[in-house]
Amino acid sequence: MDSDDDMHDANDVESMDEDFYSGEADDYYNSDNADVDDYEFVEDADADSDVFTARRHQQNYIILKEEDIRQRQENDITGVAGVLSIPRDAAITLLRHYNWSVSKVHDAWFSDEDRVRKAVGLLAKPVVEHPNLREFTCGICFESHQRDKIMSVACGHPFCITCWAGYISTSIIDGPGCLTLRCPDPSCGAAVGQDMINLLARKEEKAKYSQYLLRSYIEDNRKTKWCPAPGCEYAVEFAAGSEGYDVSCLCSFNFCWNCTEEAHRPVDCGTVGRWIMKNSAESENMNWILANSKPCPKCKRPIEKNQGCMHMTCTPPCKFEFCWLCLGAWTDHGERTGGFYACNRYEAAKQEGAYDEAERRREMAKNSLERYTHYYERWASNQSSRQKALADLHQMQTVHLDILSDAQCQPESQLKFIIEAWQQIVECRRVLKWTYAYGYYLAEYEHAKKQFFEYLQGEAESGLERLHQCAEKELHQFLDDESPSSNFNDFRTKLAGLTSVTRNYFENLVRALENGLSDVESHGGCSRAASSKNGGSSKASRGGGRGKGIASTRAGCSRTDDASHWSCDQCTYANARSATTCKMCQHRR
Amino acid sequence: MQTSRARLFKEYKEVQREKGADPDIQLVCDDSNIFKWTALIKGPSETPFEGGVFQLAFAIPEQYPLQPPQVRFLTKIFHPNVHFKTGEICLDILKNAWSPAWTLQSVCRAIIALMAHPEPDSPLNCDSGNLLRSGDVRGYQSMARMYTRLAAMPKKG
Repeated sequence: MDSDDDMHDANDVESMDEDFYSGEADDYYNSDNADVDDYEFVEDADADSDVFTARRHQQNYIILKEEDIRQRQENDITGVAGVLSIPRDAAITLLRHYNWSVSKVHDAWFSDEDRVRKAVGLLAKPVVEHPNLREFTCGICFESHQRDKIMSVACGHPFCITCWAGYISTSIIDGPGCLTLRCPDPSCGAAVGQDMINLLARKEEKAKYSQYLLRSYIEDNRKTKWCPAPGCEYAVEFAAGSEGYDVSCLCSFNFCWNCTEEAHRPVDCGTVGRWIMKNSAESENMNWILANSKPCPKCKRPIEKNQGCMHMTCTPPCKFEFCWLCLGAWTDHGERTGGFYACNRYEAAKQEGAYDEAERRREMAKNSLERYTHYYERWASNQSSRQKALADLHQMQTVHLDILSDAQCQPESQLKFIIEAWQQIVECRRVLKWTYAYGYYLAEYEHAKKQFFEYLQGEAESGLERLHQCAEKELHQFLDDESPSSNFNDFRTKLAGLTSVTRNYFENLVRALENGLSDVESHGGCSRAASSKNGGSSKASRGGGRGKGIASTRAGCSRTDDASHWSCDQCTYANARSATTCKMCQHRR
Repeated sequence: MQTSRARLFKEYKEVQREKGADPDIQLVCDDSNIFKWTALIKGPSETPFEGGVFQLAFAIPEQYPLQPPQVRFLTKIFHPNVHFKTGEICLDILKNAWSPAWTLQSVCRAIIALMAHPEPDSPLNCDSGNLLRSGDVRGYQSMARMYTRLAAMPKKG
């Protein structure tokens, strides 16, 4: 009965109580066209949906600026150094090894200090003791050097300053792996810390190293990620276990914490990933990557294999070991699993159909380019429409609001409804855009779902169009007014009303998509069996049908699923065959 | 460039001085190019490579010793970690585990050790690796011995 509960939820949001359905609330329904009633209805809904949004947008994350990150990192480092009474650089090495988790460092250290020291390369005393030699032979260039030209880390292996500098420089150029640099002696695991880097590296190398260190603090920590917006240098800390992945960065970019694509609620990450991949699959670049590389199964960075065996190790910090052929973890490749080198896992997986999915998709993409284009165009135009709306919102906030305030003699605080309208437009364009990706992947054979989805989408879209038009066109005349216009209050009522109505449509749409259009199953049952046990289904369709006449702008989909019923063109209610007008909306058959 | 040349020259002198110290390895520098070396290594005893002499080719990058030398077998060898056609070697110290403290001599020693202790879990020669992984040590050894006889031993008669 889950779906019934959902239904009630949905109803609450729309502020439709049960009376509405029992037919006693006719006035609600019939007076829909009147703006005033609309507004009342909206007020009601507003109260509820505010609760709803508050719950939704409860901040379960913190945006970190670079100085915040450095501050936190510094606090962790000094904290660990203090508690364990070790030098700062040792604390850095330790924290990095344990992915910057202070508690893990403490746990490991206090349970077995020696083991930790060994694993991390923090030696308690030198391995090689130097008697009072005046000259040393460098272990890299094999030249003899005066004592003052020789350096070593905790282990005591002597290398000359020039070779050290080259060694450090090579490793920094190689990438973030330099954070786990060890003594050059192959048998020695002594860590080379930042103190050594600072002594020997060039200025730009030091900067790079410290940048890697900062990045590591965000990237190795499971609770933090960088904001994926280009050029944005903020990071986000996300509280585990919170629901909803949408994150709004200070740079105003909204993204999904889970997949770091831009925010795409209500569409799930998998669909978005496929869609984005599909969109870019057209480009040459992506074709090359697909043909010549594979993503690391763990960190997803594309990897090009140029030589060597199938035992792949991803570059640090990922270091995931996997099989190039089947992309499975290398640890799974043993005699235990029957996974010999020829990698029968690949064959087995292919037989099981795990690979067919991708191939089938490729095939389908070729055959249904037209279908794809349909969805893509709408996706893309909502995208650009959203960009435009964002710019308009900005323009409104910075320029027009002032002008309007003067022209209409309204304090700016009284004009908040315009900003809210624009924010709503921006948000709706985003949702609408992603519903096209959703629609593309909605299976053809699920007719009922598809119809219901397209219905909701159509409703939402036409609501949004009206709102957008009102905010864009009708507002302009008030900007040019010489004196305050008497119509302005009407405009306020209208725009605020449209904003709320549109918000409701979209909440509806979002909710329906988030529960996988599960209302439809009961709806299908209803129109076929009409046992009216599933009151909820007709509610759902009624809820949408109350669309203030826009339903008629959509192609009527008069379905007569079976001989005993006909569905109403206007509200889709499944009426008994004997009825000549719709039982719900009195629309004639 | 200059550092690598100096370092290689050091190694060259060391090789001259220690000639015969390690009877299993004979490192020779190319007459005209100090960045090209060849080595003859003896197959370790109690392995299917015993009695064979294998030739290795070294191509040394300018960043040596900060970058590892490129080494491959010139002599055909049946070994899980050596590419059967190209002679390419899959050995961690020649890739990401390289340290500038290694020398050409120690690389040779590591390769000899690899011959005695194949790593069938990361094979370049799949057939060879599969024989070992399926536990057919005898099959592996006889194949390896056959190729040692064919390619790494003086022809009799």
